[in-house]
Amino acid sequence: MQLWFHNENTYPFVPREVLDAADSVRASLPGHLLDPKIAADLFHECMDESLLCDDVGINIVSVEHHSGINSLYGASPIVLGALARQTRNVRVLSQGTLISLRQDPVRVAEEYATADVLLRGRLDIGFVKSGDSEMASNNANPVGNLERFWEAIDLITAALKNQDGPMRWEGKHFSHRHINLWPRPYQQPHPPMWGATGDPDTSRELGLRGMVNSVVLRGIDGTKRAWGAYRAARSEAGLPEPALDRFAYAAFIYVGDTDEEGIEVGSKLLWFLNTSLKQAPQFSKFLPGRMPAEMAPQVYRTKPRPGETRAARPADGLIGMTAEQAIQRQIMFAGNPDTVFKQIMAAYETLGGFGHLIFIGRSGYLTHREAEKGIKMLAKEVLPRVREATRER
Amino acid sequence: MIRTERLTVHGIDLEVFRSGEGDPIVLLHGMRSFSPGSRFPALLAPLGSVVAPSLPGFGGTPRPKDFDTIFDVVHLVRAVLDSVPGAAVTLVGLSFGGWLAAEVAAAGHPRLARLVLVDPVGIKIGDRQTADILDVFNRHPNEVRAAEYHDPDRFAPDFDAMEDVEIIRYARDRDALCLYTWHPYMYNPQLPRWLPRIAVPTLLVWGGNDGIVTPAYGRTFAALIPGAQFSVLPNAGHHPDIEQPEALAGLIATFLEG
Repeated sequence: MQLWFHNENTYPFVPREVLDAADSVRASLPGHLLDPKIAADLFHECMDESLLCDDVGINIVSVEHHSGINSLYGASPIVLGALARQTRNVRVLSQGTLISLRQDPVRVAEEYATADVLLRGRLDIGFVKSGDSEMASNNANPVGNLERFWEAIDLITAALKNQDGPMRWEGKHFSHRHINLWPRPYQQPHPPMWGATGDPDTSRELGLRGMVNSVVLRGIDGTKRAWGAYRAARSEAGLPEPALDRFAYAAFIYVGDTDEEGIEVGSKLLWFLNTSLKQAPQFSKFLPGRMPAEMAPQVYRTKPRPGETRAARPADGLIGMTAEQAIQRQIMFAGNPDTVFKQIMAAYETLGGFGHLIFIGRSGYLTHREAEKGIKMLAKEVLPRVREATRER
Repeated sequence: MIRTERLTVHGIDLEVFRSGEGDPIVLLHGMRSFSPGSRFPALLAPLGSVVAPSLPGFGGTPRPKDFDTIFDVVHLVRAVLDSVPGAAVTLVGLSFGGWLAAEVAAAGHPRLARLVLVDPVGIKIGDRQTADILDVFNRHPNEVRAAEYHDPDRFAPDFDAMEDVEIIRYARDRDALCLYTWHPYMYNPQLPRWLPRIAVPTLLVWGGNDGIVTPAYGRTFAALIPGAQFSVLPNAGHHPDIEQPEALAGLIATFLEG
């Protein structure tokens, strides 16, 4: 079992009344609401938390989100570069540069090859489909996003593998006349590749490609659907059963000395769900291409008709959650070391095992000091027990 | 009443609404496709044989694989013009359809006889930091609604009151419009250069309260087309075909008689 630290570098220090009045806490909050000095402190604190992980044997996830209080990591390759130089031991997963938002995947491949060399082969590359307000923040057409996503992955993979001089790409969404990466990646033929999704159709494609399927905050049922699709696609194609290292489960985790401390501090992580997800309707329910038009009646109406079920983006089901609900839904593990160990193992058993556990260990008003304590407790008191318990799998 | 039929053009299956008889009038919908209950296509019936296709992805027309650019749509409209019987075709385009009609007219079509553009989009005239065309994908739906209609409470879609089939049509229209017009948003940077090539009698009609594209934008648009007439319809927003259908049909009738 590999453990991964995931920290979005949130910026919660916007007055509550401003957030309540805004129709979107992503994409549109004016820049004057951010104090760059506080942002600088946050960047350094979060980097230090990653370096602590490097010391205690926890891998690191480097994320990308744009223009919102939910994350300051818009310029994701810059942060990845800093992590690449400063860490010494653990693997770093970029999950990831949002490739369907970038105009030129070849440049993304170049960044990843450089990071992998700098890391001496400790890079994992994760692909995220993106969506919602990030389409506006990056000027990316939301219709056709998935098509661009897969073509970009194909192009990046081809560029990373190419060692034979300039190659060409004339695809539907991307074209390039002269692709020739220097440096080529440290790992051959390219770093391990992941995809973050809870969407079964996307999981199927990940399965066919043998990529790692990470599922972030979808809980047990959503994760089962995704991984079930992954396994089914491989089985139908006559491919070997996937090993557990093809699956990554992500949840909020906080380990305290006592259950009370674990839950009290861990509850602060839920700021991410309860405050930072709010997006204006044009970025969410009315965003074109987000869901099949046939689902629009369930989404557009303000009042459901008799017998009609509501359809919403997965994130909408997470807003307003308490710690108890989050723990019950197994998207949060919090308490003393023994409690957290048992919670992790319960999810592990229910899901039939997984090779990677990604933990969101800092968010919102959870402090740097608290985050460092949680990381140390998890590494020292829980991780060895989890590794021992899952060793045979 | 209008008739709903299918038409195959260049191998592409189209939903079309038809009414009337006589010289052909090709009517291109705007941001929203027509539906079997639309009044405006029926009001044009006395003027000729109206054919109003739902463009690929809109309404009841499927979008073929890899049909996904404004270039595809303009070529399809040319193919529709080729397909209708009769020597002299009148092309009427609303909003997004007005952009398409202007592209076709600027390129020229041997059977195009008259052109009517109603609140068209398609050109960029303002400075780099000012949107000429309200961004219907980026602004709050309430702001868009207020800009789109002179009387939104009466004419804007009410999803709670609409049937599933109507909401699905609305969502399909929005997806297709986004695919074709996201970038650059609703305009072709090269089109103003070619609008002066339009060589057929042209009428532009503008909703006096259009907050999506203003009448001032319309006057600039009209000035680029040699000899174009320009009329403003009061008590209408971006969709005069919905808010003032009789008055709009009357203006077109007068233009065609002239």
